[in-house]
Amino acid sequence: MRIGIVCPYSFDVPGGVQNHVMDLAEALIGLGHEVSVLAPADEDSPLPPYVVPAGRSVPLPYNGSVARIAFGPVSTARVRRWITRGDFDVLHVHEPLALSLSMLAVLSARGPVVATFHTAMTRSRVLSAAQGALQIVLERITARIAVSALARKVQVEHLDGGAVEIPNGVAVAKFAGVEPLPGWPGECAPGTGGTLGFLGRFTEPRKGFPILRDAFVELARQRPGLRLLVAGPGDPDDLFDQFPPDLRERVTFLGLVPEEEKARMLRSVHLYVAPNTGGESFGMILTEALAASTTVVASDLDAFRRVLDGGRAGRLFPTGDPVALRETLAELLDDPAQRAELTACGDQVVANFDWPVVARRVLEVYAAAIEATDGRVIDQEWVGPD
Amino acid sequence: MPGMWWVVGATVVAALVVAYLIWTAGRVERLQGRAQLAARALDAHLLRRAAAAAVLAERRYGVELYAAARIALDARPDEREAAENDLTRQLRTVRLDPTDPDCEAVIAASRRLALARQVHTDLVRDARTARGRPVVRLFRMGRGHTWPRYFDIDDPTLAVPAADVPTR
Repeated sequence: MRIGIVCPYSFDVPGGVQNHVMDLAEALIGLGHEVSVLAPADEDSPLPPYVVPAGRSVPLPYNGSVARIAFGPVSTARVRRWITRGDFDVLHVHEPLALSLSMLAVLSARGPVVATFHTAMTRSRVLSAAQGALQIVLERITARIAVSALARKVQVEHLDGGAVEIPNGVAVAKFAGVEPLPGWPGECAPGTGGTLGFLGRFTEPRKGFPILRDAFVELARQRPGLRLLVAGPGDPDDLFDQFPPDLRERVTFLGLVPEEEKARMLRSVHLYVAPNTGGESFGMILTEALAASTTVVASDLDAFRRVLDGGRAGRLFPTGDPVALRETLAELLDDPAQRAELTACGDQVVANFDWPVVARRVLEVYAAAIEATDGRVIDQEWVGPD
Repeated sequence: MPGMWWVVGATVVAALVVAYLIWTAGRVERLQGRAQLAARALDAHLLRRAAAAAVLAERRYGVELYAAARIALDARPDEREAAENDLTRQLRTVRLDPTDPDCEAVIAASRRLALARQVHTDLVRDARTARGRPVVRLFRMGRGHTWPRYFDIDDPTLAVPAADVPTR
């Protein structure tokens, strides 16, 4: 199948949607399909061979962060040319409602269009105000995919349409069997040692780092040798100031780790802790920790409960409760058998999130979109070679 | 000559209105066509599932499933939704083994049917919204087509033991 994928955000900066698009494209190519990805990027930036740069992007504040996107007459011309040259069987756009290449591609498309919605905006005034204009974009889309139950809810409640829920994938092969960082995770015996991990913006309240800090400080006083490994963007001083001076040497800060290092970091801990207090629509980091065969302890959020199969693949604790978290951590650090049981179940669960599996489900949506456009049913073979 | 400007202004407004009406008529036509094609694809997937279920019934599970599949295949348009729902219920009562090729065919057909149903529902909704707009009704655009109908059936996805995704 010839597939054209449009990414609205620039590959010059890392981000969730960009990673999703790259992993999906690589999985589809791995299944034997022809894929071309159109994304805003400078002509001279290093890009994978399947990416077509659509020119310089402009930084625009969007949904609480800065997105680098491309929009305007020059971009329109490039999108048109790419669509004509590509002669795609199906066009797959991401976040088509952002003012971006994706929206331009939808408006220029002729054949079947599949759209993936990533954001889970719970309430958007923009959406309700511009409903009439958005309808023109939406009615050119043949099939819709939502990456999480929350993103699907936005579809149903605010955009008046259904969507197939297909989760974010995780490249299990990139995480499994990676060497941990030298010297980690270290000793872990009943009553002593053990390493906890946290990855993300520790200054952002909804990531819940203070809950983990409270639990760690209490537990570290009872448990000699307990260490904490933190990775993510931020100033080291802001992090270490949160801890009493005598415990600071037991906290290690890696700073912002590149994508390849993430797997090693996750393999370097006994327990990965996700103390988030809300605002997570999917819980990508949990699937990554599961792929790295690390035991996960996470707050009891809807999104996390779904990924962890209701607590079978990782332990859940009451959201925002440092005492409950400390007890859970102490129990799991003392019980290697239970940790092994959780990771074994985690391996099974994460197999459902592996990119080749997820890409096959996306291919079925492509097939449905193509069929609905020409009214003919495609044979099963389109789903890809086994 | 102020009267001249009135004429020019009125002509421009009239041209814009006509352009808008032509564009709207094209839009209604396109959405109607899309809904019809999606209905054909849905129909094909319904037949596929019923056929796969009939094959499975002949080889493994007896009369009740076979009868349900037969009824779904032969149903008149006004009985079809109920017949398809009956077939979904029958399929849910039997134990499907994903390693058996006949079962796998039914499971895959049901999954594809669920997607076709989702797409059809969305496209019908778009077409009905367009048909229902006041300007479309006023000029009776799209009157060459019947009103697009929803095909109202339960979600046909079958719960598969162990894994609910294709891991073949």
